[in-house]
Amino acid sequence: MFPAASRKPPSTPMNSSSHERAPMCVQGDSGLVLTTDPKPRLRWTAELHDRFVDAVNQLGGPDKATPKTIMRVMGVKGLTLYHLKSHLQKFRLGKQPHREFNDHYSFKEAAMDLQRNTASSSRIMGRSMNEVLHGTEAHRMQLEVHRRFHEQLEVQKHLQIRIEAQGKYMQSILEKAYQTLAAGQGTEAAGEQLGFVHDMADLQLFGGTGDLQLDNSHQLHLGSIHHLQPPDHGLYLTASPALIGKKMIMAGEKSPFIWDDEAEDDDDSQLHNIGIDVAPGVIDGGYEAKPTIPNADDDKLVLEGTAKMDRPSPLRVLNHPLSVEAINGMLINNRR
Amino acid sequence: MLLMEVIMEEAGAFSGCSSTTAVGDRANFMYDWNEWETVSAEEWALLPSAGVVADDFHELVEAMMFSTGDDVFQGPSAVGLESVSHTASYNSSPSSMASSEDEAAVVSRDDKGARLVDLLVAAAEALEGPQKCPELARVILVRLKELVSQAAATGGATSMERLAAHFTDALQGLLDGDVGGGGRRKGSVRHSADALTAFQLLQDMSPYVKFGHFTANQAILEASAGERRVHIVDYDIAEGVQWASLMQALVSRPGGGPPPHLRITAVSRGGGSRAVQETGRRLAAFASSVGQPFSFSQVRLEPDGERFRPAGVRLVKGEAVVMNCILPPTTTTSSGSTQSVASFLSCAAAIGARLVTLVEEEAEETPGEAEPVVEQKGSFVGRFMGELRRYSAMWDSLEAGFPMQGRARGVVERVILGPWIAGAVGRAYKEAVSGEQKEGRWGEWMAAAGFGRVEMSCFNHSQAKLLLGLFNDGYRVEEEGCNKLVLGWKTSRLLSASVWKPPLPPPPPPPPCLDSSPLPLPLPLPLPLGAFDSYEISDFFYD
Repeated sequence: MFPAASRKPPSTPMNSSSHERAPMCVQGDSGLVLTTDPKPRLRWTAELHDRFVDAVNQLGGPDKATPKTIMRVMGVKGLTLYHLKSHLQKFRLGKQPHREFNDHYSFKEAAMDLQRNTASSSRIMGRSMNEVLHGTEAHRMQLEVHRRFHEQLEVQKHLQIRIEAQGKYMQSILEKAYQTLAAGQGTEAAGEQLGFVHDMADLQLFGGTGDLQLDNSHQLHLGSIHHLQPPDHGLYLTASPALIGKKMIMAGEKSPFIWDDEAEDDDDSQLHNIGIDVAPGVIDGGYEAKPTIPNADDDKLVLEGTAKMDRPSPLRVLNHPLSVEAINGMLINNRR
Repeated sequence: MLLMEVIMEEAGAFSGCSSTTAVGDRANFMYDWNEWETVSAEEWALLPSAGVVADDFHELVEAMMFSTGDDVFQGPSAVGLESVSHTASYNSSPSSMASSEDEAAVVSRDDKGARLVDLLVAAAEALEGPQKCPELARVILVRLKELVSQAAATGGATSMERLAAHFTDALQGLLDGDVGGGGRRKGSVRHSADALTAFQLLQDMSPYVKFGHFTANQAILEASAGERRVHIVDYDIAEGVQWASLMQALVSRPGGGPPPHLRITAVSRGGGSRAVQETGRRLAAFASSVGQPFSFSQVRLEPDGERFRPAGVRLVKGEAVVMNCILPPTTTTSSGSTQSVASFLSCAAAIGARLVTLVEEEAEETPGEAEPVVEQKGSFVGRFMGELRRYSAMWDSLEAGFPMQGRARGVVERVILGPWIAGAVGRAYKEAVSGEQKEGRWGEWMAAAGFGRVEMSCFNHSQAKLLLGLFNDGYRVEEEGCNKLVLGWKTSRLLSASVWKPPLPPPPPPPPCLDSSPLPLPLPLPLPLGAFDSYEISDFFYD
């Protein structure tokens, strides 16, 4: 049975799907295949349908043709008006571009056209049915591929959002931690610590923002700190702290920060000489920050490339998410 | 062989100890290793750059520990080349063969690495079993420290040397009687700024943390689709990082409309209550910044035994309850004790959870070949070597991603991984002594206890693959069973995330007086009404 049989419009209740049943089939010499099951169901083989289509076309199209005239033109014995009526209706509906099962139907037609062209000689029922089914399977697979592709895009989009959210959160807790630290110390030490912090903040800064320059080759340019990584590494492609942190770290060993540990831990959990610095050129590179956090009290960005800061400045690192489409484009293009 | 002599020397000084077995095994081992060494020198390729070498240490460790003669020839070479191609910065011709000087360098590096591994294993052996010989262990550790500090002094310890240093410290901690998980620092480290910074760096450098969080979150999202209220009971909330991305995901749900109300009950232990409170505040602030209705509560574990009491959890009608159990420690060094985790998981049905997400370190699967040195898996040495392998894989993964930035890596190694190693070694020792083995086995335990598997969706799997792809090719994710994803580096399994549902159909949101009968494990008696130990820090937005 045509799978479309299961999608018949309700107005033809008689032609319910018969694929649950496996009636015996007899092939008459007219090429008509009738089944032994009691309901007047006809198997529309490819050949039969071809003839049908020919007839319809002869008669000027599905809208002009009537079951009676088709019957006459086709001249197939055993074909009743009833069969033709329903088949014609389906055919007409199949011609509509926006019906859901239309794709199915017209694709099936296309599949049949194809097989007609490729294998015109033998039209055994079973084989025809098989081929039609394969055509449908191929169609299904095609739909599946589309679906998967779209799902992949969804995954990418959401992953991007989630990574950014995590980055944002980490930023905020780091800031708070350092502010607490600063509050508990003298300005000198605090300045140095915050100096370090601002480097670390920069790690996330670039991670969280979308204001980096993305050029056509989908590389992030950080001014003079340009990287030799091969472009398909994948790390470039999002605004995730992952990639940016990496780039920042690679920036080079300049004036190291000496960050003295608090007395909290007696052990050597101290950070010395991280040597992560930010070249001034990088920061000035047209960075604009827009506040997206509603409760941001200060959207002024204080970034300096120098090692020390004279006074603790409020660090407001703000996010400006990259457009998702851009990210998707990059991700897709740069998939290995 | 130099190493043999070293060990003989050290063994000789303590004739009282019967360490012949260890040495004997060493001899066999050494023999194999010698075979392997000649092959590796030819096979390992070098990067023609400023001294950066494909230090695929964990392959070295694996090959040495678990190889027969045959494997020895195949393993390192294939992987050596593969690993070279991943340290991508200067790699123009991955198949370039080493020059003769470099060969010598490689040989001597392998030599050193192998020696370190051998010494570590020997020290571990000396700490265990009937032939326990702490003095020998001490001597070996001294020697190890010498080697490592030598290396550090002469211009930078290599990857393997740094790793060996941490393991040495861990073993030293054991020796010094700090058996309870070496250097257990809780509240102090947790919120200190350097630990946070290091944690941030770790997240930037490897998908280790995000993998578990995102996979669990996605499963939670799927399970709570369409619900108006979601309640998560989190075993170890740490910094709460996991929930930031969940909140964002809830807010950005495709269906549109207001996000469900999210409630988190965090389990706190011992003195960590203030830290948990602080985390709650931070999460509330973040929630308000993204417009997520949120409230937070805390429930304490029992002080002794750290058992979880379901009665302490306030339940609200109509909420979807999820238990979240992320076992690998993040900013603390140790995860919960076995008893504690078991008590937590077994309460899933009692609190009406519909989903239990579990993230745990994966136990190494030992290959089928005979292991010349290691005895049963349950032994301390076996576990020790498992940890050695795991952390060498992690070390490698960091190195592969960030070959040039030893300093930042050094921070992560020192502040986070070092304590993790100490904790892992301590746990391995405790478990070997007590005979249990729960690390990496909670999934099995849950299956045996009747937890049902919840299928891991395609979306989740795709997300994991995509996430890993952002970092490095060497990471891989595998699906296992239908409900588990395993993150691995090259051939080593590191971490797994799995999704479960409680053993029996969850009862309707229970009244505070609970009947503990349906549970597979005995529960502590439920507390009488009113004796809750929880309190709320709430920021309500859309009530």
